[in-house]
Amino acid sequence: MKRQLTLTTELINEPALLAQRSLSNEMGAVVCFLGVVRGTQGNANIRALEYEVFQRMAEHQINLLFDEIAKRWPIESVRLVHRVGLVSINEPSLWVEVVAPHRGEAFAACQWLIDELKRVVPIWKKSVKSEQ
Amino acid sequence: MRVTVCFYSYFKDLAGCAQAAETLPDGSTLDALLHKLMLRFPKLAGMRNSTLMAVGVDYQKPTCVLKEGDEVSLFPPVQGG
Repeated sequence: MKRQLTLTTELINEPALLAQRSLSNEMGAVVCFLGVVRGTQGNANIRALEYEVFQRMAEHQINLLFDEIAKRWPIESVRLVHRVGLVSINEPSLWVEVVAPHRGEAFAACQWLIDELKRVVPIWKKSVKSEQ
Repeated sequence: MRVTVCFYSYFKDLAGCAQAAETLPDGSTLDALLHKLMLRFPKLAGMRNSTLMAVGVDYQKPTCVLKEGDEVSLFPPVQGG
């Protein structure tokens, strides 16, 4: 299984990521997920989220998740980009792409990866309030 | 033996620092270290039940036996995505 992991302070460049996509003739499903920073948290308006990461451990834990995906589903490739640092509202903080022969395994693997990321990968966020 | 302890997220604020060193008897467990840290950083004591612990880049249980030079990380539940 091909894998690509990027933790970055840069904007997630979707057109560039799509241009880099490669899939073999046997692949019939590409599932892409984009997590976007909402402008509210509870009842409060916010202007951004500040993401903190324990980089070495985050990379290791995500690679363990990739290993598990390779065991569970016939996935050809998985790519994951997570922003760190300040991410403004309406900007994507997470981009995930899973390429598989069929949609069932592509959706399942993508959902599982994001659920597990939120459970075990050492990334934290705190809201930056709007000034009013 | 000497270990390094790193704090992440709001645990840094509760501890008042991002990193600390601790000296422990050889063969000490992660739980023993945690007990010592809760006395040294009392604001962390209230977070004990929600504290996640890693040695190096792997999660570990309180029974994990530490060794000289280990880097231990303590942090609250993660929130990626």
